[in-house]
Amino acid sequence: MSVPDYMQCAEDHQTLLVVVQPVGIVSEENFFRIYKRICSVSQISVRDSQRALYIRYRHHYPPENNEWGDFQTHRKVVGLITITDCFSAKDWPQTFEKFHVQKERYGSTLYDSRLLVFGLQGEIAEQPRTDVAFYPSYEDCATVEKRIEDFIESLFIVLESKRLDRATDKSGDKIPLLCVPFEKKDFVGLDTDSRHYKKRCQGRMRKHVGDLCLQAGMLQDSLVHYHMAVELLRSVNDFLWLGAALEGLCSASVIYHYPGGTGGKSGARRSQGSSLPAEAANRHRPGAQEVLIDPGALSTSGINPDTSTEIGRAKNCLSPEDVIEKYKESISCYGKYKNAGVIELEACVKAVRVLAVQKRSMEASEFLQNAVYINLRQLSEEEKIQRYSILSELYELIGFHRKSAFFKRVAAMQCVAPSVSEPGWRACYKLLLETLPGYSLSLDPQDFNKGTHRGWAAVQMRLLHELVYASRRMGNPALSVRHLSFLLQTMLDFLSDQEKKDVTQSLENYTSKCPGTMEPITLPDGLTLPPVPFTKLPIVRCVKLLNLPASLRPQKMKSLLGQSVSAKSPFIYSPITAHNRGEERSKKIDFQWVQGDVCEVQLMVYNPMPFELRVENMGLLTSGVEFESLPAALSLPAESGLYPVTLVGVPQTTGTISVNGYHTTVFGVFSDCLLDSLPGVKTAGSSVEVVPALPRLQISTSLPRSAHSLQPSSGDEISTNVSVQLYNGETQHLVVKLENIGTEPLEKLEVTSKILTTKEKLYGAFLSWRLEETLAQFPLQPGKVATLTVSVKAKLDFSCQENLLQDLSDDGISVGGFPLCSPSRQVVRPRAESKPVHPAEGSRPGDPGQVKTLEAVLSFKYSGGPGHVEGYYRGLSLGLHAEVEPSVFFTRVSTLPATSTRQCHLLLDVFNPTEHELTVSARSNEELILHAGECQRMAIRVDKFNFENFPECPEEKGQFASAKQVEEERQEARGLEISNKLDIHWTIPSLKRTGEASVEGLLNQLVLGHLQLAPLLWDVLVDGQPCDREAAACRVGDPVRLEVRLTNRSLRSVGPFALSVVPFQDHQNGVHNYDLRHAVSFVGSGTFYLDKVPPSGQSACLGALLFLHTGDFFLRVRFQEDSPSKELPPSWFCLPSVHVRALEAQA
Amino acid sequence: MAVCVAVIAKENYPLYIRSVPTESELQFHYMVHTSLDVVDEKVSAMGKALVDQRELYLGLLYPTEDYKVYGYVTNSKVKFVMVVDSSNAALRDNEIRSMFRKLHNSYTDVMCNPFYTPGDRIQSRCACACRGGPAGRGSCSESK
Repeated sequence: MSVPDYMQCAEDHQTLLVVVQPVGIVSEENFFRIYKRICSVSQISVRDSQRALYIRYRHHYPPENNEWGDFQTHRKVVGLITITDCFSAKDWPQTFEKFHVQKERYGSTLYDSRLLVFGLQGEIAEQPRTDVAFYPSYEDCATVEKRIEDFIESLFIVLESKRLDRATDKSGDKIPLLCVPFEKKDFVGLDTDSRHYKKRCQGRMRKHVGDLCLQAGMLQDSLVHYHMAVELLRSVNDFLWLGAALEGLCSASVIYHYPGGTGGKSGARRSQGSSLPAEAANRHRPGAQEVLIDPGALSTSGINPDTSTEIGRAKNCLSPEDVIEKYKESISCYGKYKNAGVIELEACVKAVRVLAVQKRSMEASEFLQNAVYINLRQLSEEEKIQRYSILSELYELIGFHRKSAFFKRVAAMQCVAPSVSEPGWRACYKLLLETLPGYSLSLDPQDFNKGTHRGWAAVQMRLLHELVYASRRMGNPALSVRHLSFLLQTMLDFLSDQEKKDVTQSLENYTSKCPGTMEPITLPDGLTLPPVPFTKLPIVRCVKLLNLPASLRPQKMKSLLGQSVSAKSPFIYSPITAHNRGEERSKKIDFQWVQGDVCEVQLMVYNPMPFELRVENMGLLTSGVEFESLPAALSLPAESGLYPVTLVGVPQTTGTISVNGYHTTVFGVFSDCLLDSLPGVKTAGSSVEVVPALPRLQISTSLPRSAHSLQPSSGDEISTNVSVQLYNGETQHLVVKLENIGTEPLEKLEVTSKILTTKEKLYGAFLSWRLEETLAQFPLQPGKVATLTVSVKAKLDFSCQENLLQDLSDDGISVGGFPLCSPSRQVVRPRAESKPVHPAEGSRPGDPGQVKTLEAVLSFKYSGGPGHVEGYYRGLSLGLHAEVEPSVFFTRVSTLPATSTRQCHLLLDVFNPTEHELTVSARSNEELILHAGECQRMAIRVDKFNFENFPECPEEKGQFASAKQVEEERQEARGLEISNKLDIHWTIPSLKRTGEASVEGLLNQLVLGHLQLAPLLWDVLVDGQPCDREAAACRVGDPVRLEVRLTNRSLRSVGPFALSVVPFQDHQNGVHNYDLRHAVSFVGSGTFYLDKVPPSGQSACLGALLFLHTGDFFLRVRFQEDSPSKELPPSWFCLPSVHVRALEAQA
Repeated sequence: MAVCVAVIAKENYPLYIRSVPTESELQFHYMVHTSLDVVDEKVSAMGKALVDQRELYLGLLYPTEDYKVYGYVTNSKVKFVMVVDSSNAALRDNEIRSMFRKLHNSYTDVMCNPFYTPGDRIQSRCACACRGGPAGRGSCSESK
């Protein structure tokens, strides 16, 4: 007895062992087809009783085990069925002979035998024989089952006769001593007559009868016999047989308690007489067993209707607890005999199965532990594998998955032990795979992404290494790559630096032959190995979709903006929806990408490996939009910190694109890493809208590029900066070349400019352009160039600091050029004093040659192609940095009245701060040449200005906050008008630069007041001729008609006024002679009265003068002191002086 | 003197495992790992029977040829497993109990460390309990 049958279970004690074997050459397929059909007849109810017979079929049974048949009768081969092919009658005798030879092997124990012959037809087959059955073919053998049933019935008859024979043989004088093979020699020469010996014989026989009863379906009888045998054998210390009797008792009790069986695999057994098939099926569902094992339920609910068995059970049957006790005792009895190792082992296995049904795992594990230590003879490798596998299965059965996995792994290792001549790598691999659940290892990397790794890393790593090795030896490199990738991916945290190196080294070796893919690998037995993306090589921490550079960003037309504002909620903000919105935002990003333009995604990655990591073919995985990914290769230094990587691609269609992940090739393994499954990745959303293609514009200018970037506060990002140097007042042209470097035609262009906040006050437009000429070249096809000319005009304040050149005396020679006339000098005086207050307060005092800076942004908005249709445009900004050097300064401004009241003289002190000679000209006056640093006065006669379109309302000044601004604006407008009229130009001949100069900044209220045409226009007409600057000629003695006319252009009615005309003579030496009573006489009154004049009304009064002498006379019109119009400003009453030249009366 | 000490989390993964003959570390990993079957079994059995008494000490889990494996489970289902040399007759049940109690105290200290995240591996500067001896000489706390 050397070959243990690990599949044994307690129920096997009640079975009859039948060996089915082929004779001659029978194909395995045919044999097993018949074998299966034979096996289906495993249980037979004996015709005339309620008893049932169970058959156990084996196709292989070692004859040495058969020798233990007396010890436990279920080990005895009682039936033999042979299957053979026989196609011709002449082979028949030979075949039959073989059958007999086969019978001889088990001859000593056989009750009966059968031969099934297939293929033979003819007369031999016609003969009716009990021990031979003929079938024409393997297909045509419908009666096989019937034959087997008959055969089993014949076995039963023999069994029953033997049982009766032995059972009634009590009084027989000589009971033979039954013994096991190794005992035989021990009993040689023993006194057969001693009481002890007789008892031993009796006990053994009793036990044997118990076995037979059990096999014959007489459970109760067998229990009785076993009990008796136990008592008998215990008294003679026949431990081996005592163990057997105890085991028999246990088996019988188990059979009684667990009609569902304990073997698991042996299939549904029908309980004696009473059970229903459905119930039997239920019993094999896991979990259903618990109901069954409740002994109380069994004893009280009366499942079994046979009351006699109830009583018998109560008397003889062991309780479930006792069963285990008896098993223990039995095993300890067996343990005393070295040669009974197999019996002991099998008893352990049987006990474990019973305990598994009872859910008593702890005790079961003790039995198993014991079984592990049972030393059989030297086992063959195959037997070792079998032994470990069965241990593993049994541990699994009692729920010890880890232990089970341990033994399965040992079995796997045994398959490929060095002593095995042909290592079974395939079997090893298969067994290893089965251990995975025990080590709580799944081969799906997804399971490892949830938080930190939880498991027995050391053990799991070992297992994975073994899987890799086994799969490699199996000759499946794809599998080893997959396992190795898995190892690297999931166990990275537990690998030491050296191990990391080793693993990657071998991975690279494998992948050089068979690159790792993203395809799931399906094993022949149906297991699927999901792909292993290397999400940790490198580790990605942050994924950020980048907006396009500012110049390429698409913008929505303003007019369409309204519809993009979501109307989900009427509230601008509501805390209730805030959370939702946040989430939405995190998914969709509020910028757009453009079809056909390169887009970027930035990843922050780091390399956890202790060596340089080469990542190849790294690109984006996207969905929603056709996307051309442009893969990158990178090399990350060892243990790098966070390292930014930019992945680029071009969307080919429009829509919403979502970036789902990225793909890499690391160590020859392709990985598709999805962001959703990455732990700890920060992402600010992964969906972006792709808008239709837009043209791309590139600008280049005639001016040099500037390194000087504009203030960041400017808001827009400036793509290009250019700089220019200007003299104040100078105009330069900036030629902007617009090139369409995209693929779409450029259809629309808008240009705007923005002057960045500057402290300098700027007069006039800084930038101006004419877009029409450029637009005429549109649409601009890809690759074409258009130009736009922009005028850059810097016109800053021309005024000068107060401390500058104050010494330029008022009464300089420059005044001398005037034809007229000293008296007004007092009027100018206060001007000079008040001037310093005004000039630009913001400008810092200091170097007059100080260079001022102007900055402006020229924005181009352009669109075209499909993007234009969708209402998108792009913006491009050109930054302009202008350095303005001073050209001329007006250090002082004053006015002098001119001869005409409609005109006046503007006096400008012009200073040349440049280092060059400079000429200044104004209003076609001759040029004034200024040397560097020179200051000269310049006088310009100007017509007075009529600013009536700016209604004067000084009363409002205090009432409105903006009144000051209104006033400033008004002043500016006046200044502009004045400047335009003055038209002052400067030229630097040496540099060939010219420009304008403006007095806008210098003019103050007083100067303006003088330059302004008064609302009350006074005209003095001499002889009906307006007499303003030229002297009116008249004859002595003739009366001269004098008319004073008032035109009221103010908004209110004025007057009445009383005017008096005072004639005088100017001696040109400062002396005025008013005593002209003899020279001039009035015709009529010397006083004029004017009535009230309504707004925009006109009024006139007439008088006449008579000159009595020739000479130059002046007439001054004066207001009477009692004039009621005190409230009106004095400048309103500026009446011209009339110059009359009285000539000799003509004859 | 224990040859191997392991602290195992509620979810049955090792928080700390250390063995004295470091060359055969894997063997102890296997040993402790398989002992969890028994621990599970004992805990589930105890769960029914001894809810109130709370005997934390599980006793001998299983003997192997050279070693004995003892178990202990805290109320929060953290398991301590200790492997001792079976030839060491000096270790009786009481000594094992006291070693476990010391281990439990050390574990409590670790949990009290504000810098320790529950569920992380426990780092220990000294191979404490293994060297502690039967009576737990040289009590040495595991610190992060």
